[in-house]
Amino acid sequence: MSTRPTRRVVLATGLATAASSLVSGCAMGGAGGKDARDIGGRKDDEGGKVSGKITVWSWDVAAKAMKRFARTFEKRHPGTTVDVVDIGYDNAYDKITVGLRGGSGLADVLTVEGSHMPRYIGNFPSGFYDLTSLGGRYGGDFDRAAWRTVTGKDGAVFALPWDIGPCALYYRTDHFRAAGVDPKSLLTWDDYVDVGVRIKKATGRKLLIMDSTDAGILPMLLQQQGQSYFKGGRVAVDTPEAVKALTLMKTLHDKGLVDYEKGWDGLVTGTKEGKATTTPTAAWWTGTLSDEMPELRGRFGVVPLPGFTADGIRTSNIGGSTLCVPGQSKNPRLAWAFIQFLLTGKANQVSMLKREGLFPAYLPALDDPYLSAEQEYFGGQAALDVFARLARNIPPVENNKDDAKATDIMISAVTGVMLRGKDPRSALNSAARQLATATGRERVK
Amino acid sequence: MAAHTTYDRPVAPARAPAGARRRRRRPTAWIFAGPAAALFALFFAYPLGASLLQSFTTEDAGATHWVGLDQYRRMIHDPAFLESLFNTGIILAVQVPVMIGLALVLAVLLNQSWLRFRGTWRAVYFLPAVTTLVAYAVVFQVLLKTDGGLVNQILGAIGIGQVDWLNSPTWARVSLIASLTWRWTGYNAVILLAGLQSIGKEQYEAAAIDGATTLSTYTRVILPQLRPVVLFCVITSTIGTLQLFDENYVLTRGGPDDATLTPVVYLYKVGFQQLDFGYAAAIAWVVVALIAAISALQYVAFGRERRR
Repeated sequence: MSTRPTRRVVLATGLATAASSLVSGCAMGGAGGKDARDIGGRKDDEGGKVSGKITVWSWDVAAKAMKRFARTFEKRHPGTTVDVVDIGYDNAYDKITVGLRGGSGLADVLTVEGSHMPRYIGNFPSGFYDLTSLGGRYGGDFDRAAWRTVTGKDGAVFALPWDIGPCALYYRTDHFRAAGVDPKSLLTWDDYVDVGVRIKKATGRKLLIMDSTDAGILPMLLQQQGQSYFKGGRVAVDTPEAVKALTLMKTLHDKGLVDYEKGWDGLVTGTKEGKATTTPTAAWWTGTLSDEMPELRGRFGVVPLPGFTADGIRTSNIGGSTLCVPGQSKNPRLAWAFIQFLLTGKANQVSMLKREGLFPAYLPALDDPYLSAEQEYFGGQAALDVFARLARNIPPVENNKDDAKATDIMISAVTGVMLRGKDPRSALNSAARQLATATGRERVK
Repeated sequence: MAAHTTYDRPVAPARAPAGARRRRRRPTAWIFAGPAAALFALFFAYPLGASLLQSFTTEDAGATHWVGLDQYRRMIHDPAFLESLFNTGIILAVQVPVMIGLALVLAVLLNQSWLRFRGTWRAVYFLPAVTTLVAYAVVFQVLLKTDGGLVNQILGAIGIGQVDWLNSPTWARVSLIASLTWRWTGYNAVILLAGLQSIGKEQYEAAAIDGATTLSTYTRVILPQLRPVVLFCVITSTIGTLQLFDENYVLTRGGPDDATLTPVVYLYKVGFQQLDFGYAAAIAWVVVALIAAISALQYVAFGRERRR
């Protein structure tokens, strides 16, 4: 909410980007060539000497975590300076986009959310250093779904995953008790709807909060069924899975179980005020709960997401981020050394989970006893353990450079169905047609 | 009139052969005009040309291809873009006339000699236009919240049910129109007031002597003279509407279901979120063309009578 771009700024940067892109001709993205460059260090870089200075862009708790570890890193590598800049989330992607487009002005290490990475790799293939020879060997250590977001065509690695957002269902223990409902009985989404109706009758509370200007839980429901908006490079927004997901959302709306709130603040305030009794979302929500509503200590519990079938996948992923080195970095070796130090060690990852609530994509860290400990906030439940178990089952899905286009079109489809009562099947059908035209891709048959 | 200037030398009288004198190079002029001209070329003319060129291109994995008019053709079949034009049309047809009408009434009231604290009132009505966007958006979101928003509380108190202001496509449009009117009415009123004050007292007196009522004094004598000022307000409001970004981006993100999407918000989404720069450039140029066309139309329509 703090610094939204004004119209003038947007137009000015738009024109400026347009200008700079033509100046730099066809070699956009800043790396100067058609393909991403290799950093060219020895494969086993631990012994290599790094020096000089790098700048790191991040925001929020992620920036906080990096500032903390930058000092340790500097001590371990005398002669280096790691300058972590909190650029704020609101303008982060505008800044990164303009920098990639213009070919200059970016930091040496960028934080990019996993869901945004494929769009950047696809549109600016020469905008990042190729980390394959340095980071490729860590592939097996990271969550499969997260690893997929950092790899481009031919398996080239453009970033290392940092945190992920395995999903589960948060619920209000007091509301469930008042309605006499056992949360463990929630096996399928059909159960979920039934339980929602019962709780609403008993307590007057709605079931979940959504934003009327985004696609809500749709991507989560799709990933749970193993797909995104695309399948094998084709448009897949009108598959049976998608129809099932959107029909569920329509049912929730039609039964009056959805409370609409604006954006992140709306979600937090609505939850605090107890407007909805469950929140299907990611592990990082635990941090928000304990920070923003300490007075609700002991009122929340966590169970796996309901499945589309009783034995179906019970999780998904929302959010999570990665670290990459833009092609314009002057000190890529130091940039990589810092990323490697931060993300490929168990101790650092667990420390960031404890202190900043960043749920590691680095699988060895999930075995740490901290994750199976009982949490006071959740009334003694080992809430993180639920996520740690689920994390290994997140279905990897396909992301590509047209994700943002798909998202915009799907927001229209979802809101058309939920708010204007359109039929899910025909709304998705027309969305698929639009998306195929906008991207020049074929549709899944 | 410029002959009275004391610096340099007097400007040549109009009857002198204009060409000879004007063609003589004056380095001083260029020293002063140069930086501005260079800045203009660098930050305005060049990007403008570049974005026009860009609108004929598309990018695939970092490589640029020439696609001719494809981006413009795509717009004709793009439901989101068409919806954004439709929304703009609604705002132009409903919000602009209502706002200018209100602004006129306000301007006339603010111009009354019996009104106390006139300066304060003017400032109060002008204030929304200079309010920062964040404050404005937060206030409207608080006012229009479905549960517990002030507007709904008042509606509840007088026995009318809750309205889902920002989450229903229709009411989101109403909310946007209301917030635009709140923000810009006072601004237009102040411009119209300046116009009113340029009309001398004798006009009112003459009308009074001829036995005109207050109403007919305004409709027959005063308002016709305000025509150019009204035209200015209408054209700037139209341009503002076609360029609408801040209000609907912050309030509703163009949603729900694209009900408050405008071409510039769509342009922003296409360019900066979807990274489809060629298409965004094409949209920008269509917006420019629309602004030029509609302004010209209004000028012809409103300006006609004056020339008679």
